[in-house]
Amino acid sequence: MVELTRVSHTFGSQWALKDVSFKLEKGEFLFLTGHSGAGKSTLLKLLYGAIPLKRGRATVCGFDMNRLGRRKLPLLRRRVGVVFQDFKVLPERSVFDNVAMSLEVRGMARQHLERRVRAIVRAMGLEAKSYTPCQALSGGEQQRVAIARSMVAGPELILADEPTGNLDFDLTMHLMDIFKQFHNYGTSVIMATHSREVLDCVPGARKLHLENGRILEPEEAAATEAAEAEKKAC
Amino acid sequence: MLGRILRLTGRGLGDFIVHPFAHLLTLTAVAMVAFLAGFVLLTLHNVNLQLLKTRGQVEFQLYWAEGAKQDTVRSEWKTIRDMQALKEFKTFTPGDALVELAETLGESGDFSWLRDQNPLPYSALAAFEVPPDKQEKGWAAELLTELKSLPGVEKVHYAPTQMDLAQSWVALTRTVAWPVVGFLALVAALVVGNTIKLSLMTRRDEVEILSLVGARPWYIRWPLLTGGFMQGLVGSGAGLGLLFLAQNTLKDALNVPPFFIEVSFLPPEQCAALAGGVILVSLAASWVAVR
Repeated sequence: MVELTRVSHTFGSQWALKDVSFKLEKGEFLFLTGHSGAGKSTLLKLLYGAIPLKRGRATVCGFDMNRLGRRKLPLLRRRVGVVFQDFKVLPERSVFDNVAMSLEVRGMARQHLERRVRAIVRAMGLEAKSYTPCQALSGGEQQRVAIARSMVAGPELILADEPTGNLDFDLTMHLMDIFKQFHNYGTSVIMATHSREVLDCVPGARKLHLENGRILEPEEAAATEAAEAEKKAC
Repeated sequence: MLGRILRLTGRGLGDFIVHPFAHLLTLTAVAMVAFLAGFVLLTLHNVNLQLLKTRGQVEFQLYWAEGAKQDTVRSEWKTIRDMQALKEFKTFTPGDALVELAETLGESGDFSWLRDQNPLPYSALAAFEVPPDKQEKGWAAELLTELKSLPGVEKVHYAPTQMDLAQSWVALTRTVAWPVVGFLALVAALVVGNTIKLSLMTRRDEVEILSLVGARPWYIRWPLLTGGFMQGLVGSGAGLGLLFLAQNTLKDALNVPPFFIEVSFLPPEQCAALAGGVILVSLAASWVAVR
């Protein structure tokens, strides 16, 4: 599903990622952890083609990221759903319109589109607010709209960049249930987070710890986590 | 496919309702630029008209042979009227010429006693506009030869210095007008282009989200191009409308002594060029805005 080999990226003279290599199999759930600025968002941006891959090799959903031209980018993004911390929904449009956007760009017939959008909106518990403008929704509801939009087209992979970062504990748990549900249906998930609660929600998930753009070995990551836990306890 | 394009076009137009204030401001800016550009063009057009009217023409005085037959003369007048670049053609029968002469001389010009033995020949005054593509010196000489070659014509008078002056004025207006029009087009393009581009900042989030969900570039651009087209169309239309109002108000303002200048509106081809230019720039700016 995803394979990265010695991927590096710099912003000016600053290394954002350094020699990052990993593999994600179909149906896997992977957490990217690390402090702010560790390189989690940069790695996700590389995976959905928001920044070009300059060093190393990568394939995502069968697309060679080294040879991904502007023409192929929309095709990659139709197979990869992306969820952000700041939701990125269109506030003046309704829930239905925001979710339908993913299917409209694919040219799906109106009848099928409506059926699919209604189904996912219902699954997200937003049926009663289908035609409410998103600006009238709470943060948790807006994030559910964003997840519905990324899921409605049935992507093979979901990339989530701190999707619960702006939400309280209860909403976080609720949204993690939704992610797990889609994961159970076979969708691969890569989620960037630094929240302990989120990590504990999916016990079987793999974890990659990033620090200064590098992936730490499991022993190093465990030591870092222990040091952090100790610091918190003090 | 057609349904999608129509829907996207509708979305582009619908954006005027979603962001009315931003669009109204943009429209106002585009209309004002179109008006200002049109006003400069209008001034240039009228100055050019006046110059060509007063200086850009050459006049020939033609005299027919004494005793020339009326039918022959009238047929030659018709030949002259059909000549290219003829701007004004005044004809005088011997009787007309006598009346004209008497009027010019005023009280002392009573020639009623000459009515039966009028010595004046048929004559005419032909004014030709120097065509922009006929700047070479031989043009007037060829015209003179052509007029002289008419069978009944005895004499043709014209002032060669008048021809030189006319040619100089035409050359000057062409030299000055094109750089001014070019500069104007550049300024209008920059202002309209940047205004439209700025107005599309309100749709940056939408463009980003569409791109994230896998929309192809044409799908993202179509509504923006539709919006840009409408801004250009309505803006240039409003600008031309304002220009028409301004022209109507100023029409007779200079039509008083000693100017006697009637401000005329832009010819249709210049109106179309102005509107087309503004629409094209708006489209280009919308295209560039999402790059």
